Amino acid sequence: MKQPIWDLPVRLVHWLLAGLIAFSWWSVHNHHTDWHIWSGCAILTLLIFRLLWGFFGSSTARFSTFVRGPKQIEGYFRGQWRGIGHTPLGALSVIALFGALAVQVGLGLISEDEDGLYTGPLYRLVSTDTSDTARDVHELWFNVILGLIALHVAAIVFYRVRGRHLTKAMITGRGVVDPGSEPMRPGKLWVALICLAIGVGVTRWIIAGAPPFGS
Amino acid sequence: MRIAIFAAAGACVLLAGCGGPQTSQANNAQANISNESRDSNTAAPSNAMVMLAAAPSKDQALKIMHERHEAMEGLGKAMKTLHRELDSSKPDISVIRAQTSTMTSVAAKIPSWFPIGTGPDVGKTRAKAEIWKQQDLFARKTKDYASAAQAIDAAAKSGDVNKVMALHENVDKACKGCHDPFRAPEH
Repeated sequence: MKQPIWDLPVRLVHWLLAGLIAFSWWSVHNHHTDWHIWSGCAILTLLIFRLLWGFFGSSTARFSTFVRGPKQIEGYFRGQWRGIGHTPLGALSVIALFGALAVQVGLGLISEDEDGLYTGPLYRLVSTDTSDTARDVHELWFNVILGLIALHVAAIVFYRVRGRHLTKAMITGRGVVDPGSEPMRPGKLWVALICLAIGVGVTRWIIAGAPPFGS
Repeated sequence: MRIAIFAAAGACVLLAGCGGPQTSQANNAQANISNESRDSNTAAPSNAMVMLAAAPSKDQALKIMHERHEAMEGLGKAMKTLHRELDSSKPDISVIRAQTSTMTSVAAKIPSWFPIGTGPDVGKTRAKAEIWKQQDLFARKTKDYASAAQAIDAAAKSGDVNKVMALHENVDKACKGCHDPFRAPEH
């Protein structure tokens, strides 16, 4: 019997992030730096939304239900974990991916391109040298993100070989759950809308140049 | 089944992404070439002549390549400084003038910086081989940049910051217009 595991906001954030990361890579390699910057701003909005949804969203979206310490991770390896949503080990992957993306967006915000044609919305908060360094690190940091994505996909393939279809659940939101697991408690639509409004609002504020709107 | 559909859709998107730019670039190049052949009489003869001059020796070539690299890097810095200055609440016209002056002096030298034999086959450079395959187009692009640089420099010399701001986008477009087809990625 299939049960709800992932709510719509979690799934939307997941697939939009996947798409926007690919688009960000493609656009910057094909002379569309302006699109790349907008894509980064969209990712920023999603990250803010997901952070808030991790506190106020459905039970499987909340950090408090899946972020676990070393003991539980060890227990998971010994087959002692039962539940729905992210496993204690998967939680590490979630935190690493979101953390790496947050670093990447932060670097992008203060970067400027090598020709002085395009700038991240917060470039004025730092010097030209810092902007240049941020751009170089931004480029290198993408390899960290790629590595984490490779690990993420490898884990899915590993589970697939062992008979668990994780991708399908991230699309439909439903999957087979261990008997006796506590069912997912859905979040509220109005809470999701407030989280989204805050995400969009903070992003617009940053696009405007942050504190006192630039200079 | 759904996964298969999704994967197929994803693959299509990726393929479209990969095929898209090359195709459109090729089309653009084609369009540019045909434009070029229509008004080839108006292309800067000096640029074309420099390109057709005898290839420099390897030492000379490396020297030119080094000089143009340094100057282009300096031009990048000037562009960044200009961008920041125009974005500030009180743009300083003397700072702006210094940058636009760098922009015109580099523009004046560009035609002599790309003789045959200073491409990627000779030494480390981001100048693409296309420069020498599409010399007329390259000459026109460098001329576009020179006009844009001269215009913004004239505005800066006259002390008109608003005009400099208005002309800034033209310079950006001219830089990009030549870099997109003729400059290789940074790494």
